[in-house]
Amino acid sequence: MDQSSILDLDVAALADKLRARELSPLEVTEAYLDRIAATEPRINAYITVTGERAREAARQAEAEIAAGRWRGPFHGVPVGLKDLCYTNGILTTGGSKVLANFVPDYDATVWARLREAGAVLLGKLNLHEFACGGTSNNAHFGPVRNPYDPARIPGGSSGGSAAAVAARSNLATIGTDTRGSIRQPAALCGCVGLKPTYGRVSRYGVVVLSYTLDHIGPITRTVRDAALMLNVIAGHDPNDASSSRVPVPDYTRFLGTDLKGVRIAVMRDLADWYEPDIERSFDESLKLLASLGAALEEVSIPSFKLGVQVSGLVARPEMLDYHQDWLLARPQDYSDNVRPLIEGAMVIPAVSYIRAQRARALMIAESCRVLEAHDVLVTPMCMTTAPLVGQDFVRSPAGAEVPYLPTFVAFTGPFDCTGQPAISVPSGLSSAGLPIAIQIAGRSFDEARVLRVAEAFERARGPLPPPKL
Amino acid sequence: MAELTPETVMRVAREFFDYPMSPETAAAVAKVADAMLTDARRLSALGLEGVEPPFSYATMVAEAERLRRRDPSIT
Repeated sequence: MDQSSILDLDVAALADKLRARELSPLEVTEAYLDRIAATEPRINAYITVTGERAREAARQAEAEIAAGRWRGPFHGVPVGLKDLCYTNGILTTGGSKVLANFVPDYDATVWARLREAGAVLLGKLNLHEFACGGTSNNAHFGPVRNPYDPARIPGGSSGGSAAAVAARSNLATIGTDTRGSIRQPAALCGCVGLKPTYGRVSRYGVVVLSYTLDHIGPITRTVRDAALMLNVIAGHDPNDASSSRVPVPDYTRFLGTDLKGVRIAVMRDLADWYEPDIERSFDESLKLLASLGAALEEVSIPSFKLGVQVSGLVARPEMLDYHQDWLLARPQDYSDNVRPLIEGAMVIPAVSYIRAQRARALMIAESCRVLEAHDVLVTPMCMTTAPLVGQDFVRSPAGAEVPYLPTFVAFTGPFDCTGQPAISVPSGLSSAGLPIAIQIAGRSFDEARVLRVAEAFERARGPLPPPKL
Repeated sequence: MAELTPETVMRVAREFFDYPMSPETAAAVAKVADAMLTDARRLSALGLEGVEPPFSYATMVAEAERLRRRDPSIT
């Protein structure tokens, strides 16, 4: 099999070939390492490439599979980790100068589980510094670029995780999502990004942005791959006090069905305006969902309209608490676009934080009421397609200039506040050839239904054309 | 509502956090913080009467168990 055909395989297809020994893990690893070398000068998705360790892990996987000890669908499969995830003996920078030389002596649970499943780590992925932003324009390690148009951002903060999957320099990656940092980069790069329910995936060993809003999840090429990855990383972890004991099903078991009888709540009032291509794509997506048998109904969740504000008021003080010692000792090691965000929390009254946490309870209550009568909620993912690198403001169709961050947190932030699972699935390309996506959210711990609807939609829509790199 | 001044930011940072700030930095931080305070004021529109902060005792106990496992010197 030639290199390009190897890179075309998704996790599910690659796992079949590895298990049948039609491909060797080493052959696959070499194909991806070559691809990294070819794409990195343009994309900059990686902070650290772990080539030799990857080859060693691939050789071990090869020997185990040959001996009949197949560990499961990730055995010998290349993966990547956002560089917030601790990796024993491997540099973990958080995308920051503060941790520029930090080498942990233990693994984040999410990596420990993937490693146990036989996954091959290709490297640590670039991100917005300390996950504090949505562009991945990293002042210390350089900007990550969007494979569909390298002049544009890949989104963030998990920009490297999404860009690597889109550029085919990795197959499946881990991102983190506090106000949208898995789903928005996945949307801008034409990937699938799943933010599981809060507590579904352990946060242990992942650099904190916000204790009560951080979620860990997969960024993949397909919904099935996201389900396969969630199967590996989900589950209770005594090292994370917020980790849930709710049983973990086989998430792939619910895929491959139609949507007859599925009740979908549609929410489009989280924004005042959309780029025309986004609006068109969303309307087409709704028609497609209806054609698959789903019953659609427009709804509104009033408290969600303050999701940007509530998520910010929770995240910033928690961020200050985590960073305070570093900030006081080494303020110069934070970049000028991240430091003021942390410093700003110094003057926020405690009552604002508590009030924002109370608002989250109201948001959950209102959202649960809608999801009593519906199986999932569907929204657009963003108001715009990917802006240019360095562009912090976007322009509405009426000509108003607005800050970029709220134009996606308006959709993603509410589900970080409620902790409910939400997935970003590609819905098409804009007239400029940039990816567009929809968001599908569900009840807490009902990832299965979210994945089922997402996979049916993805199957009916067909894959996006890959970027021309 | 009056805007947060750079002088206030500098004073709070110095007195509460022992964190010196230049006037230029304080001006940038004041903008960020002022936007957050405006956000905070908007929450009153939600009608949060009767909603308690959802801090979880179960999570606190789980964290305490984790700390005891990690550090046997905690009796």
